Amino acid sequence: MKIRLDNISMRFGDFYAIKNISLSIARGEYLTILGPSGCGKTTLIKVISGIWQPTEGKVFVDERDVTDVPIEDRDTGYVFQNIALFPNMTIKENVGYSPRVRNMPEEEIDQIAKDHLELVKMFDRAGMLPSELSGGEQQKVAIARALASGSKMLMLDEPFSALDARVRVELRYEIRRLVKKLGITVLHVTHDQEEAMSVSDRIILMRAGGIQEIGTPLDMYRNPKSIFAAYFIGETNLMECTVLDKTKAGRTVLRLRGGRTVRASKSSFYSGDPVVISVRPENVYTANDGLEAKVIGIVFMGTYWRIRTLAETSDYIDYNISANDEVPQIGDEVRLVFNKKATKVFERPEEGLEEAIKLE
Amino acid sequence: MSLFKWINNVSNNERPRKAWFSFVCLIFIVLIIIPSIFVVLKMFTEWDIVSGVLGDPEKTSLIWGALWNSFSIAAIVTVVDIVIGIPMAWILVRKQFRGKKYLDTLMDMPLVFPTGALGFSVVLFWGAPNGIDIPGLGMVLSPYIMLILLHIIFTYPYMVRSLSAILEQIEPNYETAAMTLSASRFTAVRTITLPLFRAGLVTGTILCFARSLSETGGTYAALLLMNANGIFFTGPTFIKHMKEIQDPTAMGSMILISVLMIVFALILLVVVKLLIMRFKIPIKKVWPHLGRKLSRGAVPKLKDAFSIAFLAIIVLLPTFYIFTYLTQPMADIDFVALMSAIGTSFAVAGVAVVFGIVFGIPIALYIARKRDTKLGKILDNLVNVPLIIPTTALGFSLGLFWSTIYAGGSLNLLMVVLGHMAFTFPLVVRNISGAVEEVDQSYEEVAMTLGAKPFQTFTKVLMPIIQSSVIAGAILAFTRSLGETGATLAIDRSANTVPVYIINLLDAGKHSEAAFCSIILIAICFVFMLVLRLVVSRGGRHT
Repeated sequence: MKIRLDNISMRFGDFYAIKNISLSIARGEYLTILGPSGCGKTTLIKVISGIWQPTEGKVFVDERDVTDVPIEDRDTGYVFQNIALFPNMTIKENVGYSPRVRNMPEEEIDQIAKDHLELVKMFDRAGMLPSELSGGEQQKVAIARALASGSKMLMLDEPFSALDARVRVELRYEIRRLVKKLGITVLHVTHDQEEAMSVSDRIILMRAGGIQEIGTPLDMYRNPKSIFAAYFIGETNLMECTVLDKTKAGRTVLRLRGGRTVRASKSSFYSGDPVVISVRPENVYTANDGLEAKVIGIVFMGTYWRIRTLAETSDYIDYNISANDEVPQIGDEVRLVFNKKATKVFERPEEGLEEAIKLE
Repeated sequence: MSLFKWINNVSNNERPRKAWFSFVCLIFIVLIIIPSIFVVLKMFTEWDIVSGVLGDPEKTSLIWGALWNSFSIAAIVTVVDIVIGIPMAWILVRKQFRGKKYLDTLMDMPLVFPTGALGFSVVLFWGAPNGIDIPGLGMVLSPYIMLILLHIIFTYPYMVRSLSAILEQIEPNYETAAMTLSASRFTAVRTITLPLFRAGLVTGTILCFARSLSETGGTYAALLLMNANGIFFTGPTFIKHMKEIQDPTAMGSMILISVLMIVFALILLVVVKLLIMRFKIPIKKVWPHLGRKLSRGAVPKLKDAFSIAFLAIIVLLPTFYIFTYLTQPMADIDFVALMSAIGTSFAVAGVAVVFGIVFGIPIALYIARKRDTKLGKILDNLVNVPLIIPTTALGFSLGLFWSTIYAGGSLNLLMVVLGHMAFTFPLVVRNISGAVEEVDQSYEEVAMTLGAKPFQTFTKVLMPIIQSSVIAGAILAFTRSLGETGATLAIDRSANTVPVYIINLLDAGKHSEAAFCSIILIAICFVFMLVLRLVVSRGGRHT
């Protein structure tokens, strides 16, 4: 189903949980909503699914205004963070609940429950009670229950946050495969960026009740449009500097604190503009020449080394080394250069860099 | 402080802990359980006089009539409480609105009133021609209906409280989840929340039933004012009546009716528990359209309005109606007698509550933490016994027990205290064990890993957490003791507690004096509660 939000706001007293959100979601699209806690992620899907009525704005599904349609007639699957399987019913009764409350004939209820349990490979547990299943299994049943309503829209409210890391990874691909097969439009709230990156068609990055940025995972990673997006999605080194000049090819030449110059990607800034550059650790290399820096920390990240340095510009600059390579010692002097294509230039925020990347 | 240290060190050893717990259990059995059901034993040893009563059809029909009245009134009252209590619990737990705090406080008001005063007030309110007289109807209520109206008032808070406690624990997301699956709210509640309600329903039902069955003071006052005394009996008023008449066979009648009430009450406890636990709300069939109609628009609003109206008209107005006496000239009150009665009542209630806390906490802890052990289960069930047994029967039994052991008559007040200890004990234990069950045991474990000894862990970690429940239990027990008439009269007819004093005034036809005494008592209770809450909340802030 196609979803469109028109200037949605949700106010609790004087506090806007979400404010002036407009958004268009295509049929069958898998969207994740990412953002720090308290940014309004869950509020947004609760408003879309009809659990809450927005205080302002309209929700359209397939271009029909459903803002005032009560939740039970919205036909939106919703999977809760705390799973919320009905404890007084068996797994099968849970999955068959939606067809039952629509008063379908008994055989049909049975068939739907069976099909959906098979879909999530849980049919062998049909007669058990929710409390007899593990967390991952319960969540699979909760998804089957939401799908069994026949809804073409599914809201996932941090469904995996209570699960084991490995179960979480398996389950997320499983779900993506399933919903793509069924052509269901999904809005998936998460605070796990890896999860968002790996399953979504597009990511909505929210902050303080508003949408900060929308884009495909790769685009958002490579070409974030704001400092906040660069900082929140993936990891990055941020450095305050000033535009010196532009090269003939259009690249920006910048002066870092302390006077050293670097080159970055193309930008629309002019000489003298105060800016911030963002360069991800994997785009920082050691060389014979470049920024002077001193190694102050070394951490093995599981598949690579993360080296933290204090540069001559007084910035902390992190870079990565392959797990197989030789690691420097703490206190070693290194020279750093940046991949200039991957060095992004942003306007220096008036409120200060700290404020611009604050999570709340 | 050194005593604290000493206890603390001693608590580190298993043996003294066990010894203390065994002692508590012994006290519980000897002081509370055995005297409560002693009358059953007495029936067998005194079978001659009991069989004499059984052979007299006139007496047996009186006894059966009283029992029928008691049990049928209790049953009707409980059903009404359930039907009206569920929507009210919903309002209190799930709805947010201004003034909710006041509604919450008003709910408990009938518990502060001595039941004798309540009975008086209710008759004044409903009983034509003094109270509300619906013009043209010439409505004169039968004693039976009047007692139902009266009993609803003081059982209603118990039902609403039990149901709210459970509702608070039921995840509200269940209903939301059901609604995203196309169930109307009506269907969601019926198929999910109500089936999860059972535990609360059992507690509420038992509390209401037992309370209605036990009630003596209010019932007697109401019957007296309706001139139905001596004609219309409930179990407890029958015992009171028998105590008063000089009849050699009265003993037999009292033993018989006490035993029957105890036995029926216990059977009922088991039956109700089984029935509610076995009974399944049919969830296979749904009516989507009807459900939607019932969930939207006027129906839920009407339901809420009806719940509030019921609370106001059936519960609160009759309760407070006695205050209309304030518009009349002050009666001539014997202040010395009243104050001495109030003093006695407060002393009895105070001792009972302190006993309940000291000896109730170990038992409550055991029940909460070791529910799965055999002893835990036994204690859990035993604690309910004095709660279920009608207090008049309990008092009668207790009086028999102690007078069998000690023949002298001068210890009557002590026996009254023992009686009040017995029926308030379960209230304290239930409240505390409920609270302890909610507390994650890891807090105490953490304290122990940090080097705290068991007693220290209890006083510094667990106690501050459950403090409010301990106080709630204590207040409940205190008010319950303060208002109790039946047990006191059954133990010692000349006991000088306030409810008895008020009943005696009514007996003597001094209505105005009784009303003013009640009002003074209510005011004192109210101020006392207020001060207690204030002191407690302040103490809590300092530590």
